Amino acid sequence: MTGDVNALASGGCHIFSGCGFPAPGLQDFEWKPLFTIGSFSFTKPMLLAILAALVVIVFFWAAFRKPKLVPRGVQNLGEIAILGVRDQILRPSLGRRGDSYLPLLVSLFCFIYIMNVMELIPILQFPVTSRIGFVWPMVFVVYFLYLYLGVKNQGAWGYLKNMIPPGVPAPIYVILVPVELLRFFVFQPFTLGVRLFGNMFAGHLLLTIFTIATWYLLSLSVGLIYAAGSFALAIFVFLLETLVTLLQAFIFTTLTATYIASSLEASH
Amino acid sequence: MSGQGNGARSELSRRTAEAEGRAQGLNVGWTVFSYLLAGMAAYGIIGWLVGRAVHVSVLFPIGMLVGLAISIGFVIYRYGKQGAATQPRSTKGADR
Repeated sequence: MTGDVNALASGGCHIFSGCGFPAPGLQDFEWKPLFTIGSFSFTKPMLLAILAALVVIVFFWAAFRKPKLVPRGVQNLGEIAILGVRDQILRPSLGRRGDSYLPLLVSLFCFIYIMNVMELIPILQFPVTSRIGFVWPMVFVVYFLYLYLGVKNQGAWGYLKNMIPPGVPAPIYVILVPVELLRFFVFQPFTLGVRLFGNMFAGHLLLTIFTIATWYLLSLSVGLIYAAGSFALAIFVFLLETLVTLLQAFIFTTLTATYIASSLEASH
Repeated sequence: MSGQGNGARSELSRRTAEAEGRAQGLNVGWTVFSYLLAGMAAYGIIGWLVGRAVHVSVLFPIGMLVGLAISIGFVIYRYGKQGAATQPRSTKGADR
């Protein structure tokens, strides 16, 4: 985090005190290493990503280590998560034949959601997915699976051929080839990753701006009214982000399910 | 009892249809967005390469516009038919 923000947090920097507004920016997404091993630096987002993975693993282990026919306690929560993903994400896209992909989709959904929601938890207060480096590996896993299933089910040539829907006239087919190739191999994975990253990045930035502005504007003057307005906006963005964190996990997982479905079908 | 059973079934099928529509809508929406970007990029690159070869730099923006037009045309062709985007695909219907 920046020195300006730290100076503000320490209490001295307010409006009308000759101190400029320490506007948040890209520098607030850069973290000093917690420790280094040779040239490798371990940062807070890495720690949070590991924590998110552990939360998911421990949660499902606790929920289903001794499953009961009538669920109680944490097993209830585990079943809500699984049935939610199954009925709202997997079945609508893949039908019953997609049930073998349920563990992947549940893990993906929960992992992304936990990484997102860390933005709203005090002390952690940073969404891991607002660093795009944490998003690309998930996109690569999903896309590799997408390609693998497509080639496995339709054959390499059939898969490429089926990218363009049947019934398109031959001259149009030729015109569409570069568009389809670029869409499939570049823009579809790009939009899958950038949407998640962009939403979490923008949400975190907004939340930081209004939180810092509230503190900065706080003074025994007209600034108090501005601070109240900024605080109200910070609360509004916080509530909005509780929805966005869930929605982005849902969208990523839903698109993963539709990609898998299109790989299993003859034409998509 | 039977009435309640029918009601629960119709509620379940309504929710399933809603979820299917949502999944299809998301997929179609982002696919269309990808098509628009891909069309501009593909023909923008082709226009830029040809423009470099023949020293006519205006071919780059023209290529982008042509690509955008091709994408829009294809999106209308593929998704423009009423209900085509929201209909469940025939290969999936039987196993649900």
